[in-house]
Amino acid sequence: MKQSKLLSKYLLVLFIPLSIIIILTGCSKLLDTNRQGGYDESNYPYPGGSGPYDQFIFGAYNDLRSYSVHVDGFVAATSIRSDDADKGSTPADGGADLISMDNFPVLPSSGRANALWTGYFGLINKCNNTLYQIGTNAAITATEAVKLQTQAEARFMRGYSYFMLVRLFGRVPLIDTFYVDPAAQNNIPQSTPAQIYSFVENDLNFAAMYLPLKWDAKFVGRATKGMANGILAKVYLTQQKWALAMSTANAVITSGQYDLSTPYAKIFSEDGENSSESIFEIQATADANNPTSQGIQYTSIQGVRGAGAWDLGWGWNSPSTYLEAAYEAGDPRRARTILYAGGTTIHGEAVPTSVPNPRYNHKVHTNPAFRSSVGSRFGWWMNVRILRYADVVLMYAEAANEMGNTTEALEKLELVRARARAGNNTILPPVSTRDQAQLRNAIRQERRVELAMEHERFFDLVRWGIAGTTLPAAGKTNYVDSRDRLLPIPQTQIDLSKGVLTQNPGY
Amino acid sequence: MGVNLSLFKGMGFFSKVRMLRVCMFLLMVGYGALPAMARYADIIIKGKVTSGTGESLAGVSVEVKGTTVGASTDVNGNFTVTADESATLVFSYVGYGSQEVLVNNRSTINVTMSTSSGQLEQVVVVGYGTQRKRDLTGSVTSVKGEDVARMPNTNPIASLQGKVAGLTITNSGNAGSSPVVRIRGINSTNSASPVYVVDGVLHDNIDFLNPADIETIDVLRDPSSIAIYGLRGANGVIAITSKKAARGQTRVNFTSSLGVQRVINRIAVTDAEGFKKLYAAQLSNLGAAPFDFTNYTANTNWQDEIFRDALININSLGFSNSSEKSTTLLNIGYTNQDGVLKYDNYKRYLVRLNEEIRFNDKIKVGGSITGFHWISNPEAAGLNNALWAAPIVPIKTDTGTYYSMPSFQRAQVGNPVAALNRNTRTSISKGFRIVGSLFAEVKFLKSFTWRSTVYTDLGFNNSRDYSPLPFAFVNLGEGTNPTTTTYDNTVRTGVSQSQSESKRFQQDHTLTFDKKLGSDHALTVLAGFTSIYSHGSSINGNRRDTTVNVPNNPDFWYLSTININNPGAFGGGGSESSIVGAFGRVSYAYKGKYLLNATLRRDGSSKFAPENRWGTFSSLGVGWVVTDDSFFNNVKTINFLKLRGAWGETGNANGFADNLYRPGISNASTAVFGNNVYTAIQASYIPDPNLHWEVVRGFDVGLDMKMFNNRLNAELNLYDRTTTDILTALTLPNESRSYFTNLGKITNKGIELSLGWSDKIGKDFTYSFSPNFSYNENVVNSIGDKTNFQLIGNNGANLTETGKSIGYFYGYRQTGIYQTTADITKSAAFTNSLPGDIAFADINGDGLITSADRTYLGTPFPPYSFGLSLSFGYKGFDAMFEGQGVAGNKIYTQRRIANFTVLNYESNRLNAWTTPGSTNIEPILDNSRGNNYLFSSYYLEPGDYFRIRTVQIGYTFGRNALSFLGIQKARIYLSGQNIVSWSQVTGYTPEAQIGSILGGGADNGVYPVPATYSFGVNVNF
Repeated sequence: MKQSKLLSKYLLVLFIPLSIIIILTGCSKLLDTNRQGGYDESNYPYPGGSGPYDQFIFGAYNDLRSYSVHVDGFVAATSIRSDDADKGSTPADGGADLISMDNFPVLPSSGRANALWTGYFGLINKCNNTLYQIGTNAAITATEAVKLQTQAEARFMRGYSYFMLVRLFGRVPLIDTFYVDPAAQNNIPQSTPAQIYSFVENDLNFAAMYLPLKWDAKFVGRATKGMANGILAKVYLTQQKWALAMSTANAVITSGQYDLSTPYAKIFSEDGENSSESIFEIQATADANNPTSQGIQYTSIQGVRGAGAWDLGWGWNSPSTYLEAAYEAGDPRRARTILYAGGTTIHGEAVPTSVPNPRYNHKVHTNPAFRSSVGSRFGWWMNVRILRYADVVLMYAEAANEMGNTTEALEKLELVRARARAGNNTILPPVSTRDQAQLRNAIRQERRVELAMEHERFFDLVRWGIAGTTLPAAGKTNYVDSRDRLLPIPQTQIDLSKGVLTQNPGY
Repeated sequence: MGVNLSLFKGMGFFSKVRMLRVCMFLLMVGYGALPAMARYADIIIKGKVTSGTGESLAGVSVEVKGTTVGASTDVNGNFTVTADESATLVFSYVGYGSQEVLVNNRSTINVTMSTSSGQLEQVVVVGYGTQRKRDLTGSVTSVKGEDVARMPNTNPIASLQGKVAGLTITNSGNAGSSPVVRIRGINSTNSASPVYVVDGVLHDNIDFLNPADIETIDVLRDPSSIAIYGLRGANGVIAITSKKAARGQTRVNFTSSLGVQRVINRIAVTDAEGFKKLYAAQLSNLGAAPFDFTNYTANTNWQDEIFRDALININSLGFSNSSEKSTTLLNIGYTNQDGVLKYDNYKRYLVRLNEEIRFNDKIKVGGSITGFHWISNPEAAGLNNALWAAPIVPIKTDTGTYYSMPSFQRAQVGNPVAALNRNTRTSISKGFRIVGSLFAEVKFLKSFTWRSTVYTDLGFNNSRDYSPLPFAFVNLGEGTNPTTTTYDNTVRTGVSQSQSESKRFQQDHTLTFDKKLGSDHALTVLAGFTSIYSHGSSINGNRRDTTVNVPNNPDFWYLSTININNPGAFGGGGSESSIVGAFGRVSYAYKGKYLLNATLRRDGSSKFAPENRWGTFSSLGVGWVVTDDSFFNNVKTINFLKLRGAWGETGNANGFADNLYRPGISNASTAVFGNNVYTAIQASYIPDPNLHWEVVRGFDVGLDMKMFNNRLNAELNLYDRTTTDILTALTLPNESRSYFTNLGKITNKGIELSLGWSDKIGKDFTYSFSPNFSYNENVVNSIGDKTNFQLIGNNGANLTETGKSIGYFYGYRQTGIYQTTADITKSAAFTNSLPGDIAFADINGDGLITSADRTYLGTPFPPYSFGLSLSFGYKGFDAMFEGQGVAGNKIYTQRRIANFTVLNYESNRLNAWTTPGSTNIEPILDNSRGNNYLFSSYYLEPGDYFRIRTVQIGYTFGRNALSFLGIQKARIYLSGQNIVSWSQVTGYTPEAQIGSILGGGADNGVYPVPATYSFGVNVNF
């Protein structure tokens, strides 16, 4: 009894103060927990020195490799929709979503249309964020020159994105600011194509003014004056602003940065990346540690759809028989563009006859040495050629011809044909017609074969106004120009906007 | 102490000084409580406890009133207890009214327990304490542990399905998995899962519990009952009380069940003949050349190849001992469950030790520790893979060479058996978890009790995986292409390792004042403080050997096996969060018939910004025991009637990320220039600067009634609960990241009715029948005014908008199939509709089908749920039947909409449209017809089902029948679970998929819930 009393006394003496100590020490700072294993915006050790905004603008460069921006929807909308390429793979593969890109109409429910929309707007958002950081982030100190250069990078990629959007969708909302609170953004209605083009010209002109001619080797492929002018020339060309297109293309030609010295056969291989031909190339790399994360899936969706070692991809975007027939006799560019079942690759491999498609895109065929060193067959390391010097030269030729400057047009056209000839003067004779309409056709023909499978054809047909005749003649019998020149505005986006966005005509 | 006081910052209802005073007071009363305790002469009292029908009752608690001394009856109903000659003994037993008997110097006391107030004498968990069910003013339903233990389920919550009105449970057949649990509908667009409170500790995951080691499970449903749990309780609380040793006895209990699980229904897909016919038809409709099937002569049922009859074995062995000064309980559990999908396996080892030491009748200390170890072997087979693979392909030629799928699906679909056999037993996944608690309780000044408890929950998981070499594949010849055999030599062996650890600490301190003031007033006041701190970290890595092949032997599955120059990647992460709360409750009863309960809680969560961190929540409940009023004395048919009503308000911060208000920076995106890689940064999501928790408020009114000599039990609840400031991640246009914000308001209204009838016929035949029914209506009152964008889920198949059920199905309504072009001309259609396409209803009547014709097609969440159980007993035999179902919801067969390449067809496609008049349901086989893949009622099926959950028959051996084996009592049983279902659902299981809230109800290949046939024993020594 006594013992138990004593015991209880001691216990109480110990116990109650102990509990109170536990309470008070336990919670004094208990609610101030920190993020574990990562930064937040308040404690990120932002780098100082030159390029302090790189951490933001690099996010936009990242998106250039995104599946939604330059892979699946991009290939379908720019190439499979055209007469140069078929859907490829086996007949039902890709389902309604992909089949409709080949043979129209694309439905408003199209996952690819929606992916392109969100992909390019995501990229625009990152550009706007960079501009916002330059404008408001007081924690970052930078010289005015650095600010202007980074703004120019952001506005280049924003201008490029809107140029893609206006050609893909026609009317899209113009979003030129970064929303710290994205819910507070206005439900912005669509602008007209004219308003969008004017916005794009503005951005690209600014970019061309402040971007450098070239970067240090460690930044190869980063936005340059040549990229901005090259894309801007195409913007003018699309609007048939011939004089501006010509002068802007000329700015690229006279910049001294580019030439046509790279052999056609080399341009598209791994060893042709960032050659003197290259103006705008989406940069990708891969190694055995990271076979995909720093790369782009662009190549793998088009790779040869064989079995075993010949399973190089999905076999989409197969060159069409119409493209095959478009080449002049003996044009060596055909073999570099079309890889035949049973044929030989640029790297000397024999393609099995058993692959499901007769033709594949040879320009995305990877070097087997890379496949084995990376330990992957799917080519995520291949850069995507967006703008080549030959394209700019042909743009100049086209604009010159429309301006009536036949001599200049013929001269530039011949530059491209001469390179294609590769010293063999029995093929591809120089074009000599001085008839504007004939020369126009010759330049169009040259664009088609020189830039085949390089995502120009559909947009070219539309801007030339001949899509409505050319595509149905090439077996795309469902094509209705008034509707199918544009993709439908994605139903998901119309739903999200509660109907503020409106559908394109005919859908 | 001055420093420490900063913790009370923001605790508006406690001033700092006041809190200090309280602490000092507690210290003083603590010391003051030391003296007292005089004793009179103790005598030994023996006796027997029987039920009203003369049957002896085992396990009846016999307590000496005002002390913690006690005992419980043995299997023959006998007890022995030492008590003061003038003491009062309190007899209590679940399901019977407790009785107080004055000892009055007697050494033998026999007691007959009566069922007069029946279940209402039961005690339920009410948050940091317990209360007699009779005195409750909210809705709490209790399920006895034995009802859980008798089901051969590894997770105890799975056994509650259909037993509690208002509780929706969706089980998964995956070995060792946890069910999805919803209480009274969906209150939140975020996590809607309830919190589990196991012996006072808050958990999100209770896989460490042995179903046979549970005393009771209390389901707390209404806001007044859960308000005291603060920010954690809003989705409801499931309180689990584990077994404690029975007083005065040494017992050994062994239960074991062995069962076999089988998937009794397969998804109907075409066989080889059907597939060839349909693919040929599809190619012809696409205008493509026919496929050469010559070499594809097999007829493989891939589903049969990946499923198996799987064993499930659940065992529990418990030892308990209780004496005057201490009680000890030791429980050991072992479970081994094979999954029905090859070769899924889950093993669980559990040990729990519970000890309580009573120094005297004022002071007790105790603790409990559970050790939990699991080993899992994940399934290597893929359900969708087996559904998609063409049935025309044979399996393999030898152990290393398999057949690849035909060229039309080779790139997307692999040979399911090859995948299964390649990945089988290439993973070793293990975990350890230790859950422990220590408590001390002191009673002082007669009416005060101080109780402090500290808990910890430590988890350690690790896994090692092996990536083996591939098999060779035979590609059967198609057309002019010859048969080839290929082997992918770019694939190399690799290993990966991962480890994670988590720890959680919780402390609860409560002071309770419990006193009867005069004969009419009973008052209980509770004040307390709690905090929870959680921390976790993980690390993982992998390496691929590019020079030699790592053998398929677990001894080598470590990163160190492979030279560091080989490619690999490493990762890791961590988490930290905490909650602090202070709470109080007042319970008052006047003459036991007018009841009042009120609670208050002040809570803070580290997930929110300091200025939005603290909140105060409260509840108030009143009750009236009508039958205790004198005017009711003459009503003989009604034995008990209580009316109650309650209001409560609580916050919801469940399922939100740590430091939600400060998003982490993602450094995964990179700029690439040449072969140089540069890091870009971006906040991984966008928080509303004013983020705070959701607030749940609601009313609950109900009645509890017993009639006809307590044979009929009825409970009725009506509730109306509203969640405001719903915290949601939104998809916004022009922004790829999610946006977190508080918006809108959801109301859940419903009714719950539970009935129970039990009676006996003659002397030996007993029976009971208990149906329950609940209806819940979910309405979104508002989605806020912050954004003028729409809330969509699952790519637009689900829509959330004002006035409708949350995440309702939104799409086109099928009216039939367009049979002819004339048909299309005269009815509303898309501009590109063709014969054989699905005809849709022209909702807006403009003569065209456009996106404006999408409409409400149903809700993914079942508004009606019902369950019933029926049991019989005759002498030693018992039989039980349980059924459960839901009605009123729809299921989206999303697995059928997949058309990215040629996949095996579900059998309904055998009836696809071919010529006018062939069908008015199934569209043409042509996957270029995009309109047929728009989300429409064609892809919805009714989710109504009724399933026989359990049929069980058992036999209990008579008291003496097995005494020669030392067995006091033994029951054996045969049980069948999920053996029959009635439903129109074509998937593996009709159980609604309610895990996703804004995009719920989709069946994308749900793991089947198998039927289980088992045999079990339950033995007491």
